Amino acid sequence: MTGLRNEILKLRTVRGPLLLLAAGQLVVIAGASGLFVSGADIADPNTPLRAVAHAGLVSIFSLILGIVGMAGEYRHKTVTDTFLGTPRRGRVVADKLVVYAAAGVAVGLVSSVVSTTITALWMSGKGGSLDLSDPAVWRTLAGCVVWNACFAAIGVGLGALIRNVVGAIAVALAWIALVEGIVSQLLGDLGKWLPFASGVALEDIPAANVQQLPPWGGGLVLATYAVVFAAVAVSTTVRRDVS
Amino acid sequence: MAQMSVRGLTKHFGAVRAVENLTFDVPSGGITGFLGPNGAGKTTTLRIALGLVRPTAGEALIDGSRYADLPQPRRVVGAVLEATGFHPGRRGRDHLRVLAQQAGVSGRRVDEVLELVDLTRAADRRVAGYSLGMRQRLGLASALLGDPEVLVLDEPSNGLDPAGIAWLRDLLRGLAADGRAILVSSHVLSEVAQTVDQVVIVHEGRLRYAGRLDGLDGDSLEAAFLSLTGAGRSGR
Repeated sequence: MTGLRNEILKLRTVRGPLLLLAAGQLVVIAGASGLFVSGADIADPNTPLRAVAHAGLVSIFSLILGIVGMAGEYRHKTVTDTFLGTPRRGRVVADKLVVYAAAGVAVGLVSSVVSTTITALWMSGKGGSLDLSDPAVWRTLAGCVVWNACFAAIGVGLGALIRNVVGAIAVALAWIALVEGIVSQLLGDLGKWLPFASGVALEDIPAANVQQLPPWGGGLVLATYAVVFAAVAVSTTVRRDVS
Repeated sequence: MAQMSVRGLTKHFGAVRAVENLTFDVPSGGITGFLGPNGAGKTTTLRIALGLVRPTAGEALIDGSRYADLPQPRRVVGAVLEATGFHPGRRGRDHLRVLAQQAGVSGRRVDEVLELVDLTRAADRRVAGYSLGMRQRLGLASALLGDPEVLVLDEPSNGLDPAGIAWLRDLLRGLAADGRAILVSSHVLSEVAQTVDQVVIVHEGRLRYAGRLDGLDGDSLEAAFLSLTGAGRSGR
């Protein structure tokens, strides 16, 4: 328990996490608004789902949050004190996985509130309304929260593996912006098992021409990525000499 | 009684023999100077003793245990290393709160060590605004949090002004008088000569001398150091 509380205290005593959260909300507001500004059909039942689903895209910020939480310890050399206090390094990584997944849930919840509010405003502005009794809206929001949690945990694993903040963020963003698309084409149907595709699957919005996992499958795949990255890191890079 | 003992410690980085079969003791109730030119293997030895680096062979024991096997390491050993860092956006007090919580030390102790290193007034500023000397003192405060019996300090006077160095010397003397074992590495001989009870001198990873200051040959510590580390002969 001390290890978990310690990671929470570390998160709370720096400003980076809140700045990331705020930046994520700007993306939610701009992204959801963009959908309506560009003339989305409000009669289409998938339109409000696509709008609230912008809370899921904040998972890119949650991913960075996780990366900074782990690799940032190497960057600022606080990892020396961390390992002096807790010589069992695998324990440190495990505690971070749990705490950052929880932080991802928090980011996902805040983003969901913001995306839902923005969507409701635009829908009523366009003469419609956001139907909160529609279970599909809640399934999409739940998927967004889980996506954020899983990506934050993946960030911890990636940060532990690469141990360099800039390098890890570059790899993560390049993967999302470019590499996954290329790999996905090469893999065909197997592309649905890739991280970003698994996250999109979590949002549970029917999409034409795209193979996707069921939402629970997407969550399971993402959680597996997080644990595998972290486990590989603990048995390789994290064991290395700290200097 | 030896609080810390280094036994046959060896560390190779590829072809580089950073530390070679090093053996020495750090007794309690005194200050041991750990001397050698830059690159002699001092920092590597200290990192091995603290479980941050794995030795190729040999071991370093604290109260008879390897660091990683100590149940409450920060309550037994305090360390200030060059590799120790701070998050620039975190306040000094918060840095200590994080470490105190991890070590199971009370919040009141945070205030005590801040007072001890004279950082109380700067405690609520972010570390980014600290001078090098203030960072050294914050590192020292971190090391003292757990009220440890063993202190390991790597070049602790880096960044301290003359008044700070004198202050540090008095602080260390007081801590040693309480019965602690203190190991201080340095390449600045003059400041160490006035502080330490015994010295361990290494060169190219090997032990050159371990014992009391007055057991050294030569007129001065500096002369002895230069002759032991071969600097005089090689003309450097």
